Amino acid sequence: MIAGLVLAVLATLAFGALLAVALDGRLAILAAQGARQRVETEAPDRLNRDLAPAWYLALAAIGLSVVPFAEGAALIDSPVGIVVWGSCEALIVVTVFLHGWSPNAPFPLIGAYRYAAIGLPVLLPSMFVLIAAALPAESLSFVAIVDSQRELWNVIRQPLGLPLFCIVALALTLRGPMDYADAADIATGTSAEESGPARVLWDIARAAMLVSVSAIAATVFLGGPLGPVLPGPVWLWLKIAGLMALFVLGGRRIARTTPSRMLSILWVILLPLSFLHLAISGVLAL
Amino acid sequence: MTLIIVLLGAAALIGIGLYGALSQQSFVMLMMGLELMLNGALLAIIGFWSQALGGMPEGQLLAILVMAVMAVEMAVGFALVVAIYRKRQADMTESIGTLKQ
Amino acid sequence: MTDLIVSLLAAFAAWTGWRVFRVDSMVRASFSLMLSFVAVGGIGVVLSAPYIGIATIFMMAVEMMVMAIFMVMFMMNPAGLNPMVMVHQHRISIAAGLLAATGLGVAILSTPLPSNPVPAEAPVVAQLGHELLGPSMLIFETAGVTLLATMIGAVILSSRRGRFGAADEGARPPGLDPGGPPAGRRPESGGGHHHHGGHS
Repeated sequence: MIAGLVLAVLATLAFGALLAVALDGRLAILAAQGARQRVETEAPDRLNRDLAPAWYLALAAIGLSVVPFAEGAALIDSPVGIVVWGSCEALIVVTVFLHGWSPNAPFPLIGAYRYAAIGLPVLLPSMFVLIAAALPAESLSFVAIVDSQRELWNVIRQPLGLPLFCIVALALTLRGPMDYADAADIATGTSAEESGPARVLWDIARAAMLVSVSAIAATVFLGGPLGPVLPGPVWLWLKIAGLMALFVLGGRRIARTTPSRMLSILWVILLPLSFLHLAISGVLAL
Repeated sequence: MTLIIVLLGAAALIGIGLYGALSQQSFVMLMMGLELMLNGALLAIIGFWSQALGGMPEGQLLAILVMAVMAVEMAVGFALVVAIYRKRQADMTESIGTLKQ
Repeated sequence: MTDLIVSLLAAFAAWTGWRVFRVDSMVRASFSLMLSFVAVGGIGVVLSAPYIGIATIFMMAVEMMVMAIFMVMFMMNPAGLNPMVMVHQHRISIAAGLLAATGLGVAILSTPLPSNPVPAEAPVVAQLGHELLGPSMLIFETAGVTLLATMIGAVILSSRRGRFGAADEGARPPGLDPGGPPAGRRPESGGGHHHHGGHS
């Protein structure tokens, strides 16, 4: 059972990351990047520079481990699954910041600070949305949240939830309109000074994080492994793939605004909106 | 045995935190010392709750309160640091020497 | 087995806590403190307090990120390339810290401690929830109101605009030596973006 779940998590992460890189059309770029030489900056923080991609990948793996692959079967079947994922989100912000801070170079540092400023307020709507999803389930566990969607998926019951979580997902995977860390306008930001295998690992970790975030979104809003005819894991994989395509497309289509305007949007519009969402969901769940 | 280990760890954290809170010149580092002492308190509470109270829910409540205290300390602390920085352009404890007068 | 894990985590928490005041960079210091909190959260999870443990990790990751940002806002040496020592009353502090730790240690070792562990199958998270919104609701709500007051207070304290004019009106940076002429930029001149405040 446990061996099967470990295998499922690893396989989902590996194939999902491959799919994400393919959706981005970056397979050839990554392959070429791997052969490049490593760039050395002056007086970097070696420990954090080398560990940041590994942390990012590990957080993606932990995030995927709390997701139930079949009804009632999650690798980390924690009674506080949502809080585990919340800590992952908080540590993702820390990891991306460290990734930009450690090379000790201007562009990565700018990316790191921009991301920290945007990432922290993004965590608030994320928490409100996830707590709202926990209300009808009367539990913080993802298994119970899946169970609560047997009649009606949360995407219909709490219509604001998925759109708000999409913004969170784009921020956590450093994509499109929410990519304030690795964006092209600051010469790929936190990874500007990175080249060769380390850069490839960072990109793979980003792709794996897309899988993880999509899996969480699929579980919380689309009923996870629930679905007719096909077995649970297959439904989950289909939903993950669909959400990944949505995030990749959305990331490509929607323009990015300036960090200061995005900060205003986050604090003034999205935070009250997510609070309203929580209040409505709470009243409905009574 | 577990409880003794946990409490000794908490004592070490409180000692280190006290050292930091007393010795650091920078306000932010000083606050880190305070946080470390609260960390020790939190550890001791978790230990007592888990090993000596038989799972009384009030023990967990106390831990939540310590976390709330940390949040308040951080928020008010940083607001004060910002206010002092605006006035004195420094974040060192020595910069508010006028309090002595 | 539990004892081994707990002692390793406790030692790690103390060691990273010590590193906070030994590393030469503010960012390293705040994330070292975060590791200390993560270790304490880990002890919470091992000692069957999953919510408290993981919520500690969540809260402290956010808090230390905020701390790192503030550090860099105020410090002249954010990246930690130059070694620096910024301590006062060093010996007294060391003595106080050692005294507190040994005093508490002696007290712990000389006290007969009760032993009444949490039952293995107790629904601790549900119990906490019922406690928070049941018998202890008043305490919980008081904490909520306190946090609200904190938010309002923090915004007022840190805002530049105030009832008695701008907060930085007439602000003078401290001198390089006590009583010396002010070093660094003056707000009126609107000088450079970098404030090499003379507090070293």
